[in-house]
Order: sequence, then structure tokens, then C-alpha cells
Amino acid sequence: MFVLSIIKDTVAVKPHQFGIPADQALINEINTIYANKVLHDVGLCVAVFDLVEVGEGKVRYGDGCLWYKLVFRMVVFRPFVSEVLLAKVKSSDEDGIRLSVDFFDDIYIPLIYLPEPSAFDPNERAHFWLPSAADSETKPTVHDMLDSPTTDRMYIDAGEIVRVRVESDEFYDHEPGPPKALEGVRVAREQKKAPYTIVCSMVEQGLGPVSWWRNAEIEVMGDD
Amino acid sequence: MEVVNPRAALLSNLEVLQLLRELEADHLASQKSALKIKKEDEQSGTQNPKNPVENVQVSENLRTIEVEAIQYLTAGYQPSLSLSEGGVEKLVKALAPFALTKAEKLQIVNLVPTEPVELYTIVEELEERLGDQMDAVLGVIRDSISAGGVPAESSTHAAPPSPQAMSEERLFLEEDDITWDYHNEQLFDDTGEGAGIEGDLEAEDN
Repeated sequence: MFVLSIIKDTVAVKPHQFGIPADQALINEINTIYANKVLHDVGLCVAVFDLVEVGEGKVRYGDGCLWYKLVFRMVVFRPFVSEVLLAKVKSSDEDGIRLSVDFFDDIYIPLIYLPEPSAFDPNERAHFWLPSAADSETKPTVHDMLDSPTTDRMYIDAGEIVRVRVESDEFYDHEPGPPKALEGVRVAREQKKAPYTIVCSMVEQGLGPVSWWRNAEIEVMGDD
Repeated sequence: MEVVNPRAALLSNLEVLQLLRELEADHLASQKSALKIKKEDEQSGTQNPKNPVENVQVSENLRTIEVEAIQYLTAGYQPSLSLSEGGVEKLVKALAPFALTKAEKLQIVNLVPTEPVELYTIVEELEERLGDQMDAVLGVIRDSISAGGVPAESSTHAAPPSPQAMSEERLFLEEDDITWDYHNEQLFDDTGEGAGIEGDLEAEDN
């Protein structure tokens, strides 16, 4: 889930911080800049791991800061593709399930990555898996599945802990474009896309709510 | 800003948790001492202009992610909590004879699979690659859970000079002790003052 990234940057230490040791001041400064932010194609920064290289602090014309050229290592949240994660179900809707790991919650499971066959129950606002229908020759329709007895359904409720596999991740760079106008009226900017999203899958033995597999045996499981 | 290497090494959940907990402890300690100094100033009636401790302000962002990440990493459902520091090290060493990749070992340390089903998700083509050894792998993992609780102490290492404070240096050494087994293929080129630390560690380990 977490990796170390090596980053090079130039950081200013403000005069009021001259009283504290330089390395501490620098780490504070880097954390202020990077912590809890998404770096494009790198991941979500958590905290500084250590400083690798610190140049000499230089004073520039125009401000009283000490500017340091640094190389440091950052702890970054970036699960690799095919990694298995534990996450909590945040919400469900017709398009899929949204997961959260407390500090990051742009993790999604689209419909195609839900266990087969599954359907969305609009009353419960949750997806459910119908393992009993998996053996039948014909693929059950959504209608059939919603008619199934509730006891056969295995719901994926909000708040449940699920085990998922990372399928892909995507970064989106927000560029501040010019203001948009439609017929002379300024249009509000469309809903912002998350800068970093992870797409996960549950289509596999052993994946899905942790409770499903707690005492499961390999032989009992469907596919083979 | 320039990203030199976006993925220099992999970290296990426990290592991140340890780092964050140390950060948290530092924050609490500095807050306490700031309060104490403030109180003393009030009592003596003197207004000490700008003491350095008060200047250590922790950014909101760092506090947020720190608290939330600790919350996730210490949640009751996190299986890696059943391992101790020493447990991780032992587990990685015990897994060495099995032909597992670095990423698979990392996930085993993070997720501590005790059921065959769980191991299936982590190790690709488990049956072909491990075959009969699967039970042995699970046994090794189970052993490391029950054997947990032995703290790893790396004080025997001669501490080389490093630009970091003492506490961080200790962390650095311990972490690299553990991570070593999975990031030894990508040798991290330390060009700073701490150059050679990791090389020394490897020599001691083997």
C-alpha cells in the first residue's frame, strides 16, 4: 500500500523558524507542502520519511528566508496494481460501490468487478451476491435476482470490511482553464473529478466481505 | 519539484504505523512542552518573546492524514497487528525458502493470511508454484502470530553519523532491517551523509 518516493525540491525556511534545528524546520516545511496531497503519477503523500540530501541554506534577494535545495524520501500511499487491500464500504449506488481506507476514499468498484451474479437492491441501497444462482446454466436477469428469497442473498452492506484487488488507478490533473460561458451566462464549473482514483475488483475467490470467507474451504467455492 | 523515483521502496503497513506513531508522539510532546513554558511564563509574569517551541507548528494536513492513517492501520480488522516487530522480521526470513516475490511477501506481512482462501488471493497460481508447500507457508505464518511479542532491538548496530535526529535514525535502521528482504533488488543509492548504512546492514544480516 505504501511506498517511498524520492523527491527533489527547493524549500524555504522562514525567519521565525530559525530558532529550531534546521532539519526539523525543513521536515515541518515539507510536511506542510506535501502531506495529505496527491502528487500526479506518484500517489497520496503521507509524511516525510527522511531527508537524503540537504544543500546549504541560501538567502535570496527580496525575502528573509533561507532556501534549501533538498532531496528527501516521502511515504506515499500508492497501492500497486494487483495488490490486495482491506477497505471499508463507504456507500453503494447503481453504478457500483465506493470504498474507504479512512485517510483516502476515492476507491471504487464498478459493476463489472462485482461478484457474478450480483444486483443492486434499491430498498436496502446495497449490492448483493446470489451464489445460489451461479450454478444455473442461464445467466439470471436482474429481475430474477430481485425476486430471489432474501435469505439467499449475500449483501455487501455499508461499513462492512471487504478484501479487494486493485485493478487500475488513475490520476486526473486539474488545469485551471478559462471561465466557461454559455449564451453569455457564466457556467459554474462542473463537479471536480478526484485527482487520484483507484478501481478495485471483487471478482475472485477470497475477495469480497471478509466475513464471507472466514471459515470457507477451497472445495466449497464455486468456480471450479 | 522533481520526482527522482516515485517507487524507491515498498513499506509495510506496520512500518508506516510506526513512523506515524512516532510523529504523533513528537507532536504531543512538543505541545506539552509548549504549554508548560507558557504556564511558567505566566507564573513568573515575564513575557518571553517568541520561544522556539511555540514556533513548531504542525500543519493541519499532516495532522489530518496522520490521525486518519493511524485510525485505519490500528483498526480491529487489520490482521498485521497480530504480528509484532520481531514477528515481521522472522516471518520474512521464514518465507525466504519459498519462491515468493517481493510483492507477495509484502502482502503476506500486511494481510497475514491464515486461511488457504486468503493465500490464494495474494499468491498468483498458488497451486502450480507452491503445490504441497502451501500448508508449510500457512504454518509459518501461523507460527509468527503466536510467536509475536518479541520486540526487535537494533541497538547493536553501530550508528553511523547521519543528518537526522537520533530518534529517526533508530527508526531508519529498524525499518531497513525489515524491509531489506523485499527491496534488496532496488538498491537505494544513498548519496547523502548516511551513505553506506544499508550496505552495512546487509552484511550484518547475512
